[in-house]
Amino acid sequence: MDRASIIERLERIVGPGGVFHRPADLLVYEYDGSVDGAVETARPTAVVLPTTAEQVAEVVRLAAAEGLPVVPRGAGTGLSGGAVAQSGGIIIALTRMNRILEIDREDRVALVEPGVINLELTEAVQPDGYFFAPDPSSQRACTIGGNVAENSGGPHCLKYGVTTNHILGLEVVLPDGRIVWVGGRTAGQPGYDLTGALVGSEGMLGIVTKALVRLTPLPEAVTVMLADFPDIDSASHAVSRIIGAGIIPAALEMMDNLTIQAVEPAYHAGYPMDAGAVLLIEVDGIAEDVAATAAEVRELCIEVGAREVRVASEKAERELLWKGRKMALAAMGRLAPNYYLHDTVVPRTKLPATLRRVGEIGNEFGLRIANVFHAGDGNLHPLMLFDRHKKGDVERILLASKELIKYCVEVGGSLSGEHGIGTEKRGYMTLVFTAEDLAAMAGLKNSFDPRGLFNPEKVFPKGYVCGEVRALRLQAMAQKHGIYAF
Amino acid sequence: MCPSAVVTPQTPTEVAEALADAAERGLGVAPVGGGTALALGNPPERLDVALSLERLTGILAYEPTDLTLSVAAGSRFADVQAVLAEHGQTLPIDVPEPERATIGGLIATALAGPRRYGLGTLRDLLIGISVAHPTGAVSKAGGMVVKNVSGFDLMRLYHGSLGTLAVIVSANFKVMPLPRFESTIQASYATLSGALAAADRVRGSRVRPAALEVAQTDGRWLLAARIEGREETVRLLARECSDLLAAEATTLDAGDSAAWWAGYIKEESLARHERGVTVRLGTVSKRLGEVLTRATELATEHELPLEAIHVSPGLGAALLKIGGEADEATVARFHQWRESLLGLTDYLTVMRAPVEFKRGIDVWGKPPATLDVMRALKQEFDPTRVLNPGRFAGGI
Repeated sequence: MDRASIIERLERIVGPGGVFHRPADLLVYEYDGSVDGAVETARPTAVVLPTTAEQVAEVVRLAAAEGLPVVPRGAGTGLSGGAVAQSGGIIIALTRMNRILEIDREDRVALVEPGVINLELTEAVQPDGYFFAPDPSSQRACTIGGNVAENSGGPHCLKYGVTTNHILGLEVVLPDGRIVWVGGRTAGQPGYDLTGALVGSEGMLGIVTKALVRLTPLPEAVTVMLADFPDIDSASHAVSRIIGAGIIPAALEMMDNLTIQAVEPAYHAGYPMDAGAVLLIEVDGIAEDVAATAAEVRELCIEVGAREVRVASEKAERELLWKGRKMALAAMGRLAPNYYLHDTVVPRTKLPATLRRVGEIGNEFGLRIANVFHAGDGNLHPLMLFDRHKKGDVERILLASKELIKYCVEVGGSLSGEHGIGTEKRGYMTLVFTAEDLAAMAGLKNSFDPRGLFNPEKVFPKGYVCGEVRALRLQAMAQKHGIYAF
Repeated sequence: MCPSAVVTPQTPTEVAEALADAAERGLGVAPVGGGTALALGNPPERLDVALSLERLTGILAYEPTDLTLSVAAGSRFADVQAVLAEHGQTLPIDVPEPERATIGGLIATALAGPRRYGLGTLRDLLIGISVAHPTGAVSKAGGMVVKNVSGFDLMRLYHGSLGTLAVIVSANFKVMPLPRFESTIQASYATLSGALAAADRVRGSRVRPAALEVAQTDGRWLLAARIEGREETVRLLARECSDLLAAEATTLDAGDSAAWWAGYIKEESLARHERGVTVRLGTVSKRLGEVLTRATELATEHELPLEAIHVSPGLGAALLKIGGEADEATVARFHQWRESLLGLTDYLTVMRAPVEFKRGIDVWGKPPATLDVMRALKQEFDPTRVLNPGRFAGGI
């Protein structure tokens, strides 16, 4: 079928207003939230905006018949290129499927469409005393469907867990165009945990058309502390001490001096300009407990060298302390036109050494690197500052990135804590995973999508076409044991 | 059913080689940990080799200040807990036979006790895994950090897959601090609905217990709520919980509380009872009372003695123990009882039963709606059906 016919067919499925195909309309869909230059952009054949699961399924069936790739997309805030149609094909944008279908207060679950915005769900259930716990920094814009695809985290996942801990069931459109339910309200149903396999699969196994999510009761009391440290090392040690003492704060965030220099003049959050690093520590729970825990945390911080610990229990004061953290990325514009944001994770005890190495890499490559990150779970977010229009800057960033990622892997860390692999980090997968590890992951991919049409060219390193991996695996098995599975 | 051979490999590579060898010969393999859940599942289509993981033991890495642990799959749960306890840490799950049950077996069976209500399961704590495949390969997923989205989440796929996709050789967990103090509040009710109403009040309060159970004892219904945390807080919440129960409440503190729960959890063992049938059923929480009432009425109608009922109101689940001999008449009456409950529940699994009860049924109940997707997974990971063939849901 030629392009015009495909577009006509798509319009018949979703209506004429639901298909974008002119170059000017497609432009925005060639990108996501990742850094231009670090992730290849690509133009889809068309973008389709369905309003029902049946429409999604029909589009998927059409694409399957035509052998076209299908790329699901939420708000496009992803930072790893996951929603870019690398091999062209049809982008299914789920932003028009944005209804909260049900809020069940008794069972503490909500049934939502994938295009519902993360923060809007929390706002909808807050009056009843609940929230949706995963809170990525993009929560004002990002969608629940995108959170499921990336297994998103956020500052509060230290205590409350990441997206996978909050998804009870999913309605998904499979690559053959069927609509199925996995999981559900009743936990512990027999069979494989397909919900668990789908969360974090970056749109490569199925397209979520409904999500049944867990609602978490709002804590009765919240206290936020700002601990001021002379250097990054002492702040890192405080992190280990707090966690080691058996305290799991609701959030435990670190900002270094460069970040404070960007944030404080812009937002006046009250961060000390001469601090080497600050920790933003939130504890929550029942009122009586929070006071005692906060006192303990304060003591531990002072013990390892905090110059001052400010304690905020009133809402306005807490929000001001958080504002600096939440606006940190936006404030980077004061320091440089662009930044490249990493997402590696290291064991918490390796934080001091890793942050020293980040500093060295900055020096080696002549880059300024700001650190603002989820210290409690070792999830770094080094921001490499640069100017995209300056010749050679992007190349330097990419070389420095490689050094950084290699170091984090060497100390037992991982490529990404919450942003996903996408196209951005697929080239690094072999630093962590062997061919056998990737073959097992390919086994999961093949069982859902043997033709490889759902979000191709993602997660697996270039050359690791899943079908080929599978063939090689079976061939190896046949040669080794003289057996033929098929 | 008895295997004709038992192999006891010493390394992950040897596990993989044993699997590849079995695949080559067309044999059926049952991975075995502590042997506490051998009763779980359908009788396998083929059972030639018991693959024991008992020699794959030991802590592979433990960094207390990171709260991360890597452990070989054959390690006994109690041994692992003892090492963690030295550092004031724990894997907060309930295991009926901790001295026997192994880490690999606990992941494969996904069995979880009362604290699943407040603290979740191993699914929530798994951060990395290594498995052996029938291809002869050993592969891993995840890692040793507490937050990780690098690659597909195979940890959750293997968790609860009952050794039908691959054999777990080691696992990495995030571990938790041991609670500083615990109390258990108990109250007894004449009716199930009275106990469930009290449980609802506790669920709706700020008490947020780690476990909340209702159990039938001597014709009455006992509610038990386990509260963990800082001592002053636990004592405060224990008083609040007592006030919610609208019945005379007793409180067990610290060691007494832990000991009571150890006994309760032991009763859920699938390994201990020589006779009778253990069934687990699930439905949405709000229908649980209605379903259980019907289940007990039907049991009386079919002359099946219900010897124990453990209800998890917040999880919409219950464990029922039915007594009686494995004679033809009892088996037939049990099958009728089960058949009439299948439509009322979201799942009904025969967890343990003499083989006479298992004949002619899928012990997992109705086949999963996505059985074909699950079969495709099985086909990818174990195409020659070496691993526990037929034992899992839908005869996978």
